[in-house]
Amino acid sequence: MKPLSEQNHYEILETRPTATKAEIERAYRLALATYADDSLAGYSVFSDGDAAALRERIEMAYRILSDGRMRSDYDATLEIDREADLPPSEPSAPLVPVEGELAESTSPLEVAGAAHLDDESGDFDGARLRHFRIRGGLEIDDISRVTKISPTYLRYIEEERFADLPAPVYVRGFVTAYANCVGLEGKYVAASYMKRFDQDSRGRRKGRFFESR
Amino acid sequence: MIPVGGGKGGVGKSFVVANLSASLSRMGHRVVAVDGDLEGANLHTCVGVPRPRTSLADFVAQREEDLGKLILDTPIRNLQLIAATDGNFIAAQPTQSRRVHLMRALRELDADFVFLDLGAGTHAAVMDYFMVSDEGVIVVAPEPTSVENAYGFVRAAFYRRLRLAMASHDMRKIVTIAMDQRNERGIRTPLELLREIQTLDPSEGARFVETMRAFRPRLIVNDVRTAEDIKLGFSIQSVCRKFFGIEAEYLGYVNHDESARLSVRARRPLIDVYPRSDAAIYIARIARKLLANGATGESREGSN
Repeated sequence: MKPLSEQNHYEILETRPTATKAEIERAYRLALATYADDSLAGYSVFSDGDAAALRERIEMAYRILSDGRMRSDYDATLEIDREADLPPSEPSAPLVPVEGELAESTSPLEVAGAAHLDDESGDFDGARLRHFRIRGGLEIDDISRVTKISPTYLRYIEEERFADLPAPVYVRGFVTAYANCVGLEGKYVAASYMKRFDQDSRGRRKGRFFESR
Repeated sequence: MIPVGGGKGGVGKSFVVANLSASLSRMGHRVVAVDGDLEGANLHTCVGVPRPRTSLADFVAQREEDLGKLILDTPIRNLQLIAATDGNFIAAQPTQSRRVHLMRALRELDADFVFLDLGAGTHAAVMDYFMVSDEGVIVVAPEPTSVENAYGFVRAAFYRRLRLAMASHDMRKIVTIAMDQRNERGIRTPLELLREIQTLDPSEGARFVETMRAFRPRLIVNDVRTAEDIKLGFSIQSVCRKFFGIEAEYLGYVNHDESARLSVRARRPLIDVYPRSDAAIYIARIARKLLANGATGESREGSN
């Protein structure tokens, strides 16, 4: 999610550093069509100058990447950048159409993680509770209205600010009510969440013990 | 569960839902197609159930608590329907608590795929249904009105998610301001909003990025006539990525086909009446793609 100004030539053309000459050519043609002033896909999103500025970047990217020698010089400068600020989890997906066909490949990015999130079994932490709340279209205040638990505590539960939460017996009750409210099995979720809570408070007790010695 | 929206009416949402459902059921999967459009129900006609006996309206009005009892058989094997006919014109939309109830009941339906055909517009009720999945489908036709509405839909769906994800009241307020397209802060796109929130509150910024990454709407271009129309899907994908920071997936396109119109007139899915037509073949291709992605979706729903 880099701003346009920080994107490299490959990201501007939405192709990958290993792209062939033909792939770069196709990516360039698609980018030009997409960012033409009267482009059907863009006119309602662009504001003054957006498309022109992008076209300039596209032309520059193409000029360099379509020339073998300029491209390898550019790649050499890119190596350093790439290690510095391109997280491996964010591949620039090559999504340029292959002559009248759709690229069949689907990027499996993050799908595995999402599968884990939507499953109603497994371990529950604050982030998963939030995920289920959002999926149900509920705000913290909605849950607060139903459960009569203060929004602050509900937020702490999601953020796992264990130290700021009251005694475990209350937290267990809060989490049960929260989970029921978002359509989960309250008892099960609370049991799972409390394991994290207990682990953390054990850790904190130990810390205090050492501090006091 | 796959919600299918698109903002604009008449782009072929119900046609796409009916035919994707029929296509998957022909491949042997158990499918329930749910008409979520209580104010303009027509999915029943597309799947060949002329006069539904029961409807989602019965659940909304609390006449029936068991959603399973509203499932109707269709002429197609493995394909069942929950219609949305005979709604109450004054109180068609369910209340918020009823909606949560409905979402849960939908998730518990016993099927391999549940399609949810949404109404037009970006009304709160429509957007809530779209929220059941991070990977809902948006149907767009290659015409300016439809494309504009599709962007509006993507934005609305994302901002709604975002508002729920933000922990602080102030940041939620900024999201609400940004939802107004002519807001005084001059925030036009989700990416601009991200910059604003990142500067004001880095931890909320991190939550923003997390929400943005999880949201992966999928795109179908319907009624395609030219090669340019096909590329539209890729172009929308590019604009979403560059201007919104949102990764959309282009699932595929369905070409303009006279037999599609004839099938609607025959009140049966195209896949059923003209299985060899071009459009039917393209729809089957999208269905196979859903199936390939669904490998993870099945394990997700399998535990219910």
